[in-house]
Amino acid sequence: MLKPFATALALLLPATLTAQPAPERVGLVDRVLDQHILPGFDDLAKATSQLAMVAAQNCSPDNEDLREAYGRAFDAWVRVSHLRFGPSEVQNRAFALAFWPDPRNKTPKALARLLADQDVALLAPEEYTELSIAARGFYALEYLLYEPQLQQPAAYACALVQAGSADIARLSAAINADWADYADLMRAPHADGPYKTNAEATQELFKALLTGLQFTTDMRLGRPLGTFDRPRPKRAEARRSQRSTRHIALAVDELEELALMLAREGSGLQAELAVAFEDTHQAIDAIDSPDLSSVATPFGWLQADIVRLNLHSRITEELMPPLGEELGVPAGFNALDGD
Amino acid sequence: MKTTYLSTSVLALTLGTSALAEAPSAKAVLENYANIAEAKYQDSLITAKALQAAVDALIASPSDETLKAAKDAWLASRNPYQQTEVYRFGNAIVDDWEGKVNAWPLDEGLIDYVDASYGLSEENDYAALNVVATPVFTLSGTEVDATNITPELLEATLHEADGVEANVATGYHAIEFLLWGQDLNGHGAGAGNRPATDFAKGDACTGGNCDRRAAYLKAATDLLVSDLEFMAGAWAEGGEGRATVMANENDGLVAMLTGMGSLSYGEQAGERMRLGLMLNDPEEEHDCFSDNTHNSHYYDGKGIQNVYLGSYTRVDGTVVSGASLSDLVKAKDAALDAEMTGKLDVTMAALGKMKDAADNGFAYDQMLERGNAEGEALIMGGVNGLVDQTKSIERVVAVLGLNQLEFEGSDSLDNPKAVFE
Repeated sequence: MLKPFATALALLLPATLTAQPAPERVGLVDRVLDQHILPGFDDLAKATSQLAMVAAQNCSPDNEDLREAYGRAFDAWVRVSHLRFGPSEVQNRAFALAFWPDPRNKTPKALARLLADQDVALLAPEEYTELSIAARGFYALEYLLYEPQLQQPAAYACALVQAGSADIARLSAAINADWADYADLMRAPHADGPYKTNAEATQELFKALLTGLQFTTDMRLGRPLGTFDRPRPKRAEARRSQRSTRHIALAVDELEELALMLAREGSGLQAELAVAFEDTHQAIDAIDSPDLSSVATPFGWLQADIVRLNLHSRITEELMPPLGEELGVPAGFNALDGD
Repeated sequence: MKTTYLSTSVLALTLGTSALAEAPSAKAVLENYANIAEAKYQDSLITAKALQAAVDALIASPSDETLKAAKDAWLASRNPYQQTEVYRFGNAIVDDWEGKVNAWPLDEGLIDYVDASYGLSEENDYAALNVVATPVFTLSGTEVDATNITPELLEATLHEADGVEANVATGYHAIEFLLWGQDLNGHGAGAGNRPATDFAKGDACTGGNCDRRAAYLKAATDLLVSDLEFMAGAWAEGGEGRATVMANENDGLVAMLTGMGSLSYGEQAGERMRLGLMLNDPEEEHDCFSDNTHNSHYYDGKGIQNVYLGSYTRVDGTVVSGASLSDLVKAKDAALDAEMTGKLDVTMAALGKMKDAADNGFAYDQMLERGNAEGEALIMGGVNGLVDQTKSIERVVAVLGLNQLEFEGSDSLDNPKAVFE
């Protein structure tokens, strides 16, 4: 059973929540937009544009410039991967950038089929955007750059790397461009917008934090951890490029930044969050392998599990309910609800 | 219930707040919610028993007619069951149980023969185990004697074998695979095409091991019936599901809204509909062997709507209805109730359009095909409706002043007691 926790991931908000709505936090949404969200998507647009340029010139999978540009762009994505609302969800952009996890191996299957067919017409932008999301985005590109079985024939593989990189850049630029207007909808809620009140906009930010915590806990950590008796190192995110542990660190970095902004400046809760995140970072640093292959050993498993426990028990279960109470918003629903 | 209603409205009038609709008690709303659950699971059980009889007839005398009768019975059994899915998230007793009954997607090669195009799985060593053809095998290092295929074997040993969720050995979709076989038509029209002779005796048997295939089908169907008996009982008077919901008004209402919101957004709009569309993959159909996905989605949506409106039409045409969430919201914020009701209508209209198109020959797997703009529009109509209604469900949570909302994930509700303590 793929069920790592004995306890439920549930947020119980104290009964006082709705009885006494929290006082409005002046400028909170603005601050998160200006210091957290908008710079993140701007970085993504820049790094992916760079990736597309480098790929256009060097498409060989072992080219160092290409791999470096890919790594920077993927970093930028992971840093905004918890912000799954608004422009990233328009036209399924984020889904096309980041199809993972992939328990039924749809990405390698889709790529193998493309490489076998060598249909050049599919690589034109307007055709390429119709491809299965399993064949697009950062995770497909990882296979093309790091999986030797998916690098032949070289000419078509090269064209696929270039088309994929250009697609990633286009999607990222579109998300970033749309954020300018969308930010206004969050800053100034009104009856016809996606947010009717400031509380609804604040709830969206709180939900992003919760979604990010859950994704990193359940997917980035939970999938490779499996159970102590049956670890699943091959399920680690981006293990072929040795980026699994790095992604956890980057994601936690961003979640920390957002959490500390959402908590009231100078409050005890903010201090507690800071300590809990600091401990989490230290636990991540202690993980022995970049690709989480160390979870196959009992000691390595426990090292990674400590990170999960910090994120789950300490940060999510203990500190998110009081944060929700302070903000005056319930947890709401997110895309990870369900199976 | 009627008396509560009357006294409330009299009270409202005397207080001079007649502009607001009369509010039913939360208790009345929850009681009706439990009544509807009981009726839905009863209907699921009744139609599953009809399936069981049809399966027995198929096994006794395999023919195109008896196979078709079994398939028709399976299809009929899906409609009430899908309407129960709104009870999953939020009700631990349902969530803990439903994996045996409706797990999906499955690596069907675990159960029976598959086409050569099936491929191997990096994550599942048993994706092509083929229990029907293999009486004795080793599973996670332990030898398993599957000479006798029993409900117990499926439930305790094979289901989620080796800790892999795609090893679905029980429930509707295992039965569906045994009745229809793989759908090898890709994006073309047509469902799986298993011949009735796959259940034939002696030399007429196709696909090998017909007796074991029949035994598997029988065991899986019997297990489904007993599982549904359990759940129908859980919502009857004195049952655990009902008792849990009635124990605390706030938690009961939260369970209702969590079920509606989680099914609308993460599960149906995301996992089942949008992801399948973006993968252009007919294997991503929820009822992929039978090509029944359009109904599966439609009745999921219907279940969400009838929980909010507090009214369910049973398979025999009788109506179970009473105090509703809608009444409760209307009394607090009539505009929000109108918004919620309207959005549920929009979703059902969109899902209805998709269902009609499929009923008229535009198969769901054709809709999923790359570049099929018409199919994409039909599916996205449903997705957009479901996403949009989730926002209103969140507003309902706020307006009712509910003080908790499950942060629902794949791992949640494993041990709900621990949370409430």
